[in-house]
Amino acid sequence: MVTQYGIKLSVSLISSYFGNLVAKVCECLLRRGTLSCANIVRFTELNKVQVRNSLLVLIQHNCVQAFSIQQEGSFGEAPKVVTQYMVLFDNIIHHMRFPKFLAYVSEELGKECEDILEGLLQHAEEETVVKKQGAKSAKVMKESETIEQRALAAAAPMEALRFLVETYTETDCCGEESEGNPLPSATVGEKRKQSDLELDTEAGTKKRRKEVLYANFEEFVRCLRDKGCIGNVRTRLDDGAAIVLSAILKATRSAENKVKIENSVPLSMDTIFEEVMKSEEGRSMTLERARASLVQLGCHLPEIGIDETYSIDLKSIIELAQNEEVESIVLKRYGREAYRIFRLLSKAGHLVETDKISNTTFVAKKDTAKILYTLWKDDYLHMEKIVTYGSKQSQFLLWKVNKHTLWDNVLNEMYHTALNLRIRIAHEQEQEKEILRIPREKLVGELAKRYARLRKVRIVLESSLMKLDDAIMLFHDF
Amino acid sequence: MNRSQESPSLKRKRPEPNTHAQSPESVLLNLIKSKGDMGIWKGDMKRETNLPEPVVNKALKTLQGKALIKEVVNIKSKGRKHFMAAEFEPSKELTGGAWYVEGKLDQEFIAVLKDSCSKIIRKLKVVTAEGISDFIKRNKITTIECKTHQIEEILKSMVLDNEIFEVKSTGLGEYHSIPIGTACYRSSTGMGLGQGPKIGAMASIPCGVCPRISRCTPDGIISPKTCEYYKKWLDF
Repeated sequence: MVTQYGIKLSVSLISSYFGNLVAKVCECLLRRGTLSCANIVRFTELNKVQVRNSLLVLIQHNCVQAFSIQQEGSFGEAPKVVTQYMVLFDNIIHHMRFPKFLAYVSEELGKECEDILEGLLQHAEEETVVKKQGAKSAKVMKESETIEQRALAAAAPMEALRFLVETYTETDCCGEESEGNPLPSATVGEKRKQSDLELDTEAGTKKRRKEVLYANFEEFVRCLRDKGCIGNVRTRLDDGAAIVLSAILKATRSAENKVKIENSVPLSMDTIFEEVMKSEEGRSMTLERARASLVQLGCHLPEIGIDETYSIDLKSIIELAQNEEVESIVLKRYGREAYRIFRLLSKAGHLVETDKISNTTFVAKKDTAKILYTLWKDDYLHMEKIVTYGSKQSQFLLWKVNKHTLWDNVLNEMYHTALNLRIRIAHEQEQEKEILRIPREKLVGELAKRYARLRKVRIVLESSLMKLDDAIMLFHDF
Repeated sequence: MNRSQESPSLKRKRPEPNTHAQSPESVLLNLIKSKGDMGIWKGDMKRETNLPEPVVNKALKTLQGKALIKEVVNIKSKGRKHFMAAEFEPSKELTGGAWYVEGKLDQEFIAVLKDSCSKIIRKLKVVTAEGISDFIKRNKITTIECKTHQIEEILKSMVLDNEIFEVKSTGLGEYHSIPIGTACYRSSTGMGLGQGPKIGAMASIPCGVCPRISRCTPDGIISPKTCEYYKKWLDF
C-alpha cells in the first residue's frame, strides 16, 4: 500500500521532471490503481492525446508498466483486448535517488561509468545507447528510430510477447495480470535487447550495472542495502564485523534473487575468508578474528569444525537500524525518559504493565503514566486495559509497540518530510531567483552574501534529503 | 446450681480482657498489626471495624502518641493516610522499592550509581553485574549497601539508554574470565555507540520532530515555505 504522502511526493517528483500534465495522469493512476487509457481520460478530464503522450513519457521513464487483458465481448462480439496501465511507485521514488546511484557508481566503477549512467538517467533509456556510441549523429538517428521501434513492435506482437516475460519477472509488482503485450512496453523490450547486444561486448560488471536499469533499479537498491547494513554494523559493532559482512555480501551477491531476503546465502568459512582476504583491511585479520566477528554478527559457531557454513541474519540488522531511526525520533520529540520507555517496549515486543515499566526505566510512576499516554495518543503505542475483580477492583494498563502500524506511520511521515524538503528547496530558489540570474562574477557585497547563503541552504536541505532517503529505503525497500 | 457457681467467676474474668479488647485503640492496633508490612489505609480501617470516623481518628492519635504505630507513605496513593505497626518496615509495594525515598524516586542516588557503573565498565571493558557489584563494595564507592540485583536494574536501564550494551560472553579474548553464555555488559567497540543514542536522519530534520507535522500542508497555514522551525534551522 502506498501511503498518502508517498503519493503526494511522487506526484511532486513527476511534476517537477515532466510537468503537470504527466503528474495529473500519474496521480490518477496512483490514487485509483491500474486503469485503461479510456478510464484515465474519463477521470482526469484530459483529452486522449494528452493522456497518451503522458503515458508514453511515464513508460519511457519506467514509471508505468502497460499490459493487456482480454475482456469477454458482449453477445455476438469477439473478445476485446484492453491495455491497462499500472503505475510503478517505487520507480518514481527512485528518480529522487539518481544522485545517489551516480555517486555509488562513481565510487565503485569510476568516472566513466558515472557519465554513462548520468546520461542514462537524465534522458531516458535510448539516449544512453547513444552516449555509449559517443556520436552526435547517432543520437539523431536513434531518436527517429524510437518511433520506428514503436511501430515495429506494434506490427510484431510475437517479438513483444517474448520480452514481456522478461519485463515481468523483473518488475515483480502485481504479477497477477499478464497476457499479451501492448505497444509501449514492447519498446522497453526492444531497447533492452539493443543495449544487451551492445553490452555483451562490455566488461562483465558494466553489463550488470546496466541491466539494473531495466531491472527496476533492483541491483542499486541491493547495493545500497548492503552498504547500509555494513555501515550499521560498523557503527554498532566494529570494523572487523563490517569487513566480514562486506565480504559475505560481496561473495553472495550473484546468488541472491531479490532485495528483501532474511538471511544471506550460507557460505563456508573458507569462502568467507577468501573474500575477506581480498580487501585491504581484511588482510590483517586472522581466522580466529573472523570467527569472532561472525559471532558478533549473530552466527553460532558449530560444535565440530566440519562443514562450517555461516549465514548472516540480515533481517535483524535491518530491523535494528529501523528501530534506531524510530527511537531517535522518539528521543527528539518526547525526551530522554520517553526514549528509555519506548526502547523497553520495543525490545520486549509484548504487553508490559505501567508499574513494571516505571520500575525498569527509573521513571517516576506519575511521569511514566503521562509519557505513556502521550506516546499512545500519537499512535506510537498500543494500550490494553485489564480490570480484575478480586477483593478490590483494580485496573491495569498494559502497553506495547505496535510495529506494524507505527512503521507505516513513520514511513508516511518520512515521505511528508521529503516532500517538505523539496518544497523548501524550490521555495528558496524562487526567493533568490534574481541572484541566480546574475552572472557569478558580478555578485559582490550583499548579493554575494545572499548567494553564499543560498548555497549553504541548498547543501543542508539536499544533503538532509539524501540522508532521509536512506531512511526511506530502509523502511520501504530493504 | 452450677450456674450460680460459675457465673460470678465468668463475670469477674470476662470484663478485663474484653474491655481492653473492645476499646477502639486495641481493635485498631490488632487490625493494623495483622496487616504486617503492608499497613492499612484509614478508610479501610473504618470499613473493617465499623467505627465512626472521630473515634478512629482519636484512637489513631493515641496509638501514635504511644509509638505503637506509625504513618507511612504509600507510593500508589500518596494522599491517603496509611498506618503500620511500629515494629514493621514498609514493604516494597508501599515504598516503591529500594529506589524510593519517602515516596519519591531517588534520582540523585540513581544518577550516582549510573555514573559509577559507566566508569567501571569503561575501565574493565567487559564485566558482569556481579563484577560491578564487587568492585563497588571493594572500593567503597557508596556508603549505602548495593545488592547485585539493584546494580543489574541500573545496568538494564543504561542499556535502554544505549550507553552500554548487553552481550553474552563467548569465553574468548576479552571474555576469557567470564563463563560462556553469561550475560555481561560492555561499552561500545564501534564508533557510534557509547555516546548515547544516535540521531537518525529523520530526527535531524525539523519535520522529524515537529509536533505540528500532521497539520502541515504545501500551501496551508503551516507549510514548509513559511515554517518557523525551518527558518531557525536555515538561519546562517
